[in-house]
Amino acid sequence: MADLLGIGKSGLFASKKALEVTGHNMSNVNTEGYSRQKVIQSTAIPVTTGGFIQGTGVKIDGINRVNDEFIDKRLNAAISSSKFYDARSEHLNQVESIFNEVDSEGLNQILNKFFNSFRELANQPENETIRSVVRDNAGLVVKDFRRIRETLDLQAGNIDRKLATSVSDVNQILNHVADLNGKIATIEAQQGESGDLRDQRDVALKNLSEEFKVHTYTDEKGRFVVTAQGIGTLVTGLHTQELAVISKNKEHSSNNMNGSVEIVLKDRPSQAVTGKFQGGNLAAIIKVRNEDLKKLQDDMDGIAFQFTSSVNSIHRQGFVNRPINLGPDGTPAQADSKGLTTGLDFFTQPLTKEGAAGSIDLSDAVKGDLSNISAALAPNAPGDNRVAIAISKLQHERIAGEDSVTLEEKYLQTIGSIGLETGKARLDAEQSSGILAQANSIRERLTGVSIDEETANMVRYQHAYEASAKMMQAADEMFKTVLELKR
Amino acid sequence: MTRVSENSSTASLKYALNRTKAKMEDLQLKGSTLKSITKPSDNPVSNVEAMALTSSTNDNIQYLKNADFALLNLNVTEKSLEELTDLLSKAKEIAIAQSSDFFNADVRKNVANEVQQLYNQSLAVANKKVGLKNIFSGTNTLTVPFDSNGSYKGDSGHISLEVSRNFFVPVNLTGEEVFFSSEDSDSIESPLQKFEQFDKSTINNISRELATKEVDEDGEVPAKPFKTRDNIFAQLQALTSALENNDPEMIQGLLEKFDNSISRLVTLRTRIGSITNSVESSKSGLESENVDHISRKSSLLDADVADLFSDINKQQAILKTTYQSTQGVMNQTLMDFLHR
Repeated sequence: MADLLGIGKSGLFASKKALEVTGHNMSNVNTEGYSRQKVIQSTAIPVTTGGFIQGTGVKIDGINRVNDEFIDKRLNAAISSSKFYDARSEHLNQVESIFNEVDSEGLNQILNKFFNSFRELANQPENETIRSVVRDNAGLVVKDFRRIRETLDLQAGNIDRKLATSVSDVNQILNHVADLNGKIATIEAQQGESGDLRDQRDVALKNLSEEFKVHTYTDEKGRFVVTAQGIGTLVTGLHTQELAVISKNKEHSSNNMNGSVEIVLKDRPSQAVTGKFQGGNLAAIIKVRNEDLKKLQDDMDGIAFQFTSSVNSIHRQGFVNRPINLGPDGTPAQADSKGLTTGLDFFTQPLTKEGAAGSIDLSDAVKGDLSNISAALAPNAPGDNRVAIAISKLQHERIAGEDSVTLEEKYLQTIGSIGLETGKARLDAEQSSGILAQANSIRERLTGVSIDEETANMVRYQHAYEASAKMMQAADEMFKTVLELKR
Repeated sequence: MTRVSENSSTASLKYALNRTKAKMEDLQLKGSTLKSITKPSDNPVSNVEAMALTSSTNDNIQYLKNADFALLNLNVTEKSLEELTDLLSKAKEIAIAQSSDFFNADVRKNVANEVQQLYNQSLAVANKKVGLKNIFSGTNTLTVPFDSNGSYKGDSGHISLEVSRNFFVPVNLTGEEVFFSSEDSDSIESPLQKFEQFDKSTINNISRELATKEVDEDGEVPAKPFKTRDNIFAQLQALTSALENNDPEMIQGLLEKFDNSISRLVTLRTRIGSITNSVESSKSGLESENVDHISRKSSLLDADVADLFSDINKQQAILKTTYQSTQGVMNQTLMDFLHR
């Protein structure tokens, strides 16, 4: 009879525990990264009484979370690659908008206007008003070269700041993982349930995967190890290897930019690992900074350098639009009261290609006096337009990029290639987000809570609970019957 | 059997909704701008081609302006040549009439005043201006080309304008060419000739309609002949003094010179006319080219309205269906059907 009560009680306990787990599942239906749990129960150890082997009810072996390590790893890889293309596409979109001339006036049209204003000057080289139009248009060219170069620099700077915040996020996650490693080890040493903590660690690894590709394993001593591909081990059990950022000067930076931020392992600050990250946000923004932005800066500098140097070399041959005294042998005077009469630069001549787009400016001569804009190839010939024509012809002359393309072609190539890269990144982002959604849904199908399922379980365990209670009631009644025998 | 959990169904719903709405947004942007390209990455190749077309169109607009300016100069020059021809014809008529012995010295003196007027008129024509430009001063355009004695103050520079890509036309005649004898008219070199920055092979062969270079038998350009006495002003002055001096023989001697001058002016007019024609034809070429550019650009950038709106309708229908199916799936569980 006592057995009967015991068996009933064990059923009651098991059903109650199962109901508790059901409740836990239901209440965590929207918890991020939660894996549903289920009660593992088995028959209690049978006893032999009176020669019979007899069951003693049910016992609970444990509460397991439903989870597949390989699905999680696949999900993390999908997160890394999706995040990589997302971040790349987002940043390239910003870069691309600098060069968007679909419905606004960009550098190409401004350069075009500049050359056309010289054509207008060639029509009326005597006209001072047109000289001021030429100067205004040249001013716009200067402004737009600088705008592009400054915006490119600004975006590189933004990426530097982003790297710093990402690295501090990563460090936080690494410490969190190490911390969880410790707690899980402690609980599991006491035979406790670590499912919820493991879920938290999986969430942390998912967050880490957003920054770079993560690989995890358990080593021979049972320590949980997190490594970043291409970088090395970041967490071993309780120990973390944190990342750090440092500013490098031009010679030591990975992108030849001044003051750019590099990532290092905290214990080895001399060795930059910036370029070694694979996948995820970090690799994406580093690639945008070190490759795409760098190339654009170089291209723009090259175009600006070619442009200013070519315009200058022609402009220097011209004579100012003022009466010039001729010497006794007919040679024109080199200078007059307003300065030099020939050999004047139109733009300040850049010394090197590097940074030419940022430092472009009108020469002091042109800024100071309109008559210094030289249209004539001969002195004292206000109607001579040969210099103006020659400058306007530079538009169609193959002077950019090893003399094989015109300035416009070079600029359009630059825009074309950034457009192509952006378009490709967007396609990749769409594709990888599809793959991510699929990986996510595979994981959620296995580990996610289904309210329908839990409701059915609830009904099931409720009935089982009732049945066990009835069993105890029956035992109680049997006791009563036996006790009433004596009355 | 595939297990479906709460999160997996909401996740797939979210994914489907997001995709449809992203497409919808893109279509709406295109619908509101009526452009199929809103940023370079939408179609890098078309974008770049459209930008090249824009600058080439703007260039053409400038070339059209240049052509109009060239035409203005050419027309004024031609008009001046016409006036000069008239003046010289009148002078010649006078010379023919006065070359006989029929008139006496008094009459000739009166007629001399008339010729003096012709001289003044031709001086006015020679100093004609277009805007700021003295058109017969060569490149020294701010200087009045002829003083009252008819001596030339300008230079022998030629002004060329680019009236369509790489097509340069000379737009001025120097005072020397018009008023002095034709032998000294220099050939006109390309305006880019003196710049070593440019590839010479492309610019050397620009067609020259005006004032070809006289080459003698040795292939040498003859040295400039002494010219001051042999010009239109000198001829008119000579006629005046011959009339005043009552010298019919000298008047007769001038007849041939007038004929030479008139025929030179006629030749110059024909040349100006042929340049004007080529400018006009390049102008109409540019205009039709621009129309082509615009239609090409439109086909590159503009959205196909019919296609676009049928796409929008389709996408709207998809979105509606997604919403309706969402309504069926969300917020309904087994709970709703269990009786307590």
